[in-house]
Amino acid sequence: MLHGMATGVGALLGTSLFPDLAQGADAPVIKIAGAPKRVIFFLQNHGFDPLTCIPKELKESCALSGLTLAEPMKALEPYKNRMHIITGLHGRHTNPGHSAYFGALGAYRGGTGVPPSAATIDYVLSQALPQTILPPLCIGMESLDSMRARPTVATLSAAGPNQPIFMHCDPTMLYQLLFGSIAEGAIRQHYEARSQVMLEIERVAQLKGKGLPLSEGERYGRYVSGFRDLNGLNEKLSKISTQLKKFAPKLDDRYTNPQFETDWHDALLDLGIAALQANLTNVLTIASGCGEYFGSWKGLGITETGHGLGHIDQPGNSIWTKIRQYNCEMLVKLMKALEATPEGAGSMMDNTLIVYSSNNAEKQHSEGATWPFVLLGNAGGRFKTGQYTHIKERPINDLYATFLHGVGSPVDRFNMDNNMATLHHSRKGPIEELLA
Amino acid sequence: MKSPQPFHVAIALASLLSTQAVADESLDVGAAAGFKEMVAPFLESYCLDCHDEDTQKGNVSLEGLSDVSVENASLWKRIWEQVALKEMPPRKQANQPPLMERWELSTWITDELTAVMKDKGGFIDHLRPSKGNHLDHDLLFGPLPPNLEPASTPARIWRIHPQEQLVRLNELVCLKRKYDPERPGLWTHGDHIPSNLEGETKVYFGLDGYLGSFNDAYNFGVSGFQSSLSMIRDHGLRNYSFLYTINSAESLQIAGIAEKVLRFMAYGPAAEPYQFADDIEQVSGEYRGLNIIFYKNGIYRPLTPVYELMQTPGVSDERLKEVITFLFESLTLRPPSEAETAIYLEIANKSIKELGKDEGVFVGLVPIFLDRDALFRPELCEDGQPDQYGRVPLQGDELALAINAAFSYIRPENDHLRTALAEGKLKTREDVKREVTRILNDDSIRKPRILQFFREFFDYDRAATICKTRESIEGQGAHYESHPAVMGSMIANTDGLIELILREDKEVLKELLTTNRVIYQPYTSVRVARGMTTDIAYFINRKKTFEPIKVYNPEWVKKGEEEKEQHEVTNGNQLHHILPNPAQPIYVRQSQFDNGIFPPAKDALKAITTVDTRERLGILTHPIWLIAHSDAMENHAISRGRWIRERLLGDAVPDIPVTVDAKLPEEPESTLRQRMRVTRKEECWRCHQKMDPLALPFEMYNHLGMLRDSDKGQPVDATGEIILSGDPSLDGPVQDPLEMIHKLAASERVKQVFVRHVFRFWMGRNEILNDAPILQDADKAYRESNGSMKALLTSLLTSDAFLYRKVKN
Repeated sequence: MLHGMATGVGALLGTSLFPDLAQGADAPVIKIAGAPKRVIFFLQNHGFDPLTCIPKELKESCALSGLTLAEPMKALEPYKNRMHIITGLHGRHTNPGHSAYFGALGAYRGGTGVPPSAATIDYVLSQALPQTILPPLCIGMESLDSMRARPTVATLSAAGPNQPIFMHCDPTMLYQLLFGSIAEGAIRQHYEARSQVMLEIERVAQLKGKGLPLSEGERYGRYVSGFRDLNGLNEKLSKISTQLKKFAPKLDDRYTNPQFETDWHDALLDLGIAALQANLTNVLTIASGCGEYFGSWKGLGITETGHGLGHIDQPGNSIWTKIRQYNCEMLVKLMKALEATPEGAGSMMDNTLIVYSSNNAEKQHSEGATWPFVLLGNAGGRFKTGQYTHIKERPINDLYATFLHGVGSPVDRFNMDNNMATLHHSRKGPIEELLA
Repeated sequence: MKSPQPFHVAIALASLLSTQAVADESLDVGAAAGFKEMVAPFLESYCLDCHDEDTQKGNVSLEGLSDVSVENASLWKRIWEQVALKEMPPRKQANQPPLMERWELSTWITDELTAVMKDKGGFIDHLRPSKGNHLDHDLLFGPLPPNLEPASTPARIWRIHPQEQLVRLNELVCLKRKYDPERPGLWTHGDHIPSNLEGETKVYFGLDGYLGSFNDAYNFGVSGFQSSLSMIRDHGLRNYSFLYTINSAESLQIAGIAEKVLRFMAYGPAAEPYQFADDIEQVSGEYRGLNIIFYKNGIYRPLTPVYELMQTPGVSDERLKEVITFLFESLTLRPPSEAETAIYLEIANKSIKELGKDEGVFVGLVPIFLDRDALFRPELCEDGQPDQYGRVPLQGDELALAINAAFSYIRPENDHLRTALAEGKLKTREDVKREVTRILNDDSIRKPRILQFFREFFDYDRAATICKTRESIEGQGAHYESHPAVMGSMIANTDGLIELILREDKEVLKELLTTNRVIYQPYTSVRVARGMTTDIAYFINRKKTFEPIKVYNPEWVKKGEEEKEQHEVTNGNQLHHILPNPAQPIYVRQSQFDNGIFPPAKDALKAITTVDTRERLGILTHPIWLIAHSDAMENHAISRGRWIRERLLGDAVPDIPVTVDAKLPEEPESTLRQRMRVTRKEECWRCHQKMDPLALPFEMYNHLGMLRDSDKGQPVDATGEIILSGDPSLDGPVQDPLEMIHKLAASERVKQVFVRHVFRFWMGRNEILNDAPILQDADKAYRESNGSMKALLTSLLTSDAFLYRKVKN
């Protein structure tokens, strides 16, 4: 069976695993180089202490050339000229604490069990960028136990109020979902049989929805349309099998017999990269820690797990150096894969923006006073790179508005009304220092 | 505009809208009264003096405000809350609108917001559990308005509770634990699935055949699954019928779980041969270091038609039909119709043809797990004839299932409801009363729904989700690593205490609020042999010396003497300095495991004793409630104050405006009371006066619920005040939480508010004005029976709100 799962927050009125799938393109759209085509968000949980990404003595904005990146970020040293480190933004209004949850990418008040109150920036960007089949694809990384128990979970991304988007945490399930149609032998046979059963379930579900009272019919209709979306996805994927075959990752032991959770983290990243390369998605959201306040990295030799990790001060701490270095190695892997994939006159990386940050500002139990970001790539030359910028007292909403300006969908503000704007020092328009 | 609300409110308007022509004695207020006729005059009379263009008090001008639109929706929502909760006009102002006028405007606003926001994310705030008190208490319990249309609940499908799903699936893979009247607190067939010591609620495969494990495997190696249905994780009631559907991700997960369940039913645990043994000591050393568990040789699971099918060569329609009928009844609690059987037979046969029997059966039977009625309980009344109000009584299977679902997640062993239905004895209100009474009086029929109500009413089970820092736990002398297990233990203890009080069934609410009894774990396990690692440590009076707790170590005890030894440890740990009275054994449901290092399910022996009522009084003073209403490092005054304001006083506080930067000053040397001085600003105090004075008496305890007499080097100030309660005899200052609780527990209004919450939980919706007679009857039943929960439930479950579904507006 096509597997998946949903638990956790916010799914008050059930939503699709793939929002607006019906509006997705029938086949990947290949565009010429030189324009923003994709954005990747990578959020590490437990906060992102600014001292782990900038040298201590650095107070003012400056060029990165000539500077040495902090130890946790050293894997990115060769990419300094394509990097922009941003500090000084705040997210006090997002109520970060352990995690701002949907508020991290929505830039509004979030919290445990609080459903999303508006669309998040990854979803909004996915609508603004050239369309793909899956806008956006979200993956989440946790302990093995947790990923098995909750193969999908919704904590960070949303298509609108009360419309959470689920992230995938089990790579075997995600593999079947994205690449099952091109598998061979028994896997293919099962995929076909299960797809057939899903169609039957949709038919029966539809049958039992007839005659329901109006409001109940709408609610039940979401249940039925979930099957329709899934079956529609199968059909769309089957039409692009050549593209899928070209980029499908190898289904190896890491998927079926992982030694550590990091095997699954790596496999999920591979699937995310393949989905980008095959142009299945224009936005990839990676949640290391699944947007919550647990997590496990035993594969890195870290024995501490879970919530307690967040209570450790990150600067100078060996555990957090390892986790951050692992993040950065993943970012390098992403960039290398996209650089190696031609697009137009250049590579996919030329048209990509990567956003690295956290789902709860600078630390666990954060009040959101400072929220660092690292940008990689310039999305077709739209964003300034090779720079460290310290911004004085603007909310993360303004950064997200800047992203929208960068991809050609300018807005005055992002999820911020005028009353709040004054209170939180939001200014209209983009943060000019960040745009090329 | 026609009201889009699911609850049609009808009442004669003659006294309210004198200018309106009333053609019918009964008509829809929200629909008939438009902006010009009702809203504009209301604003003119009560609002514009302070909120016109010139005055703009609080920077709010209502002059020129037009009908509800997307642009002004947030302002109208604020007006709704202010008017419904009597925040505006200001209380000191003499010219106050009558309650019915407030209700009329509130209903108009919520109707309009629902309509205009339909395609903009929707507006359902007024239907949410947290807004139930926006309907004024005195409207419900005062004189009844004339010509009130009789109550009913909209025809609906109600998604099953996550626990309901787990209990039903557990039935398929786990042997039944028989009810033991000597140990009524033990985990029994039909009870909710207890959480494990990590706080996860899971169904485990192979629990009955569990032999043992080494290292961490006990915690991590047991294969199982959590519920795939989402649930609100916030405070308050969590399972209204309109709140949930099932999304595609959940459906996919259910499908995945279904396959695993079917395979387990057929073949047992998915384990290697070396994982089966007669004795754990037989396990070879080479396997002891693995993170796996071991099973007993033999078959330890329910043997069902799925097992029979896979044991028998070949496959026939007849055998498949048996399987389909069995699964369908297990999952929907009713037999399938012929058409349903035919559909699922066709799907299963197709799948078997495609994949062969060995695989095709498991894939082809999955759709039954996703049948509408396996995930939603229908209350549609499709066959009945509506009365003049568009209502149809629940009948047949729908009625039997509704009564059953009021108490249980599965069908009981001897299904009297189905027998009564078959014999034509489940038709009238009297029939329903007879069956409800029978179920309530039969302890062997487990009633997890009743316990679930109290969990949601008191929120104590949320304590496990409150994240505490190491410093904050160790700073109070408790043990950081043990804290999650202690929370699980305390939740189970509180479950046990509530069930005990329910068995007594006298003045239930008052007893819960004022009992001097506590249940605790009298011994520690071999792994955590430190007194501070147990739940009783949280009851400690920090002013007194703490003595070590005697340890019970199962490895030191001879077989057959476990209970005797546990009794001795219990007696040895009476802790007279904490608990002045001798303890008695009591069995409490905490674990599903019959073996293991933690208190096992079959012998979950705890102790019950009494506390000094000058220190603790009822659940609100138990550490579990205090922790559930605290945060990472300190007490949470807002959460505690809100709880009392909403659950006991029947009032509410409007949503915090987005413009408010709600933060207390960071002053490490100041007490919480001192830091909360910032809420005394005029714009804050209007709401905070409803919470802070109710919450600050609990400063008598630290954020782990331990007694204290000083805070930040200063003597604790536990004074507070009940204000704006709606009951003048309640209002006034209190010296400490104990005095406040005594006052609240004696209040008739508090009992009525409790009745309102019971109504909401069992009807799956907020009450509306039409429900007033039902609430008054229920209150009377509760009062006249000396606070019997059984009497209260019987009254509500035989009311029109429970028995009738509205199929037409």
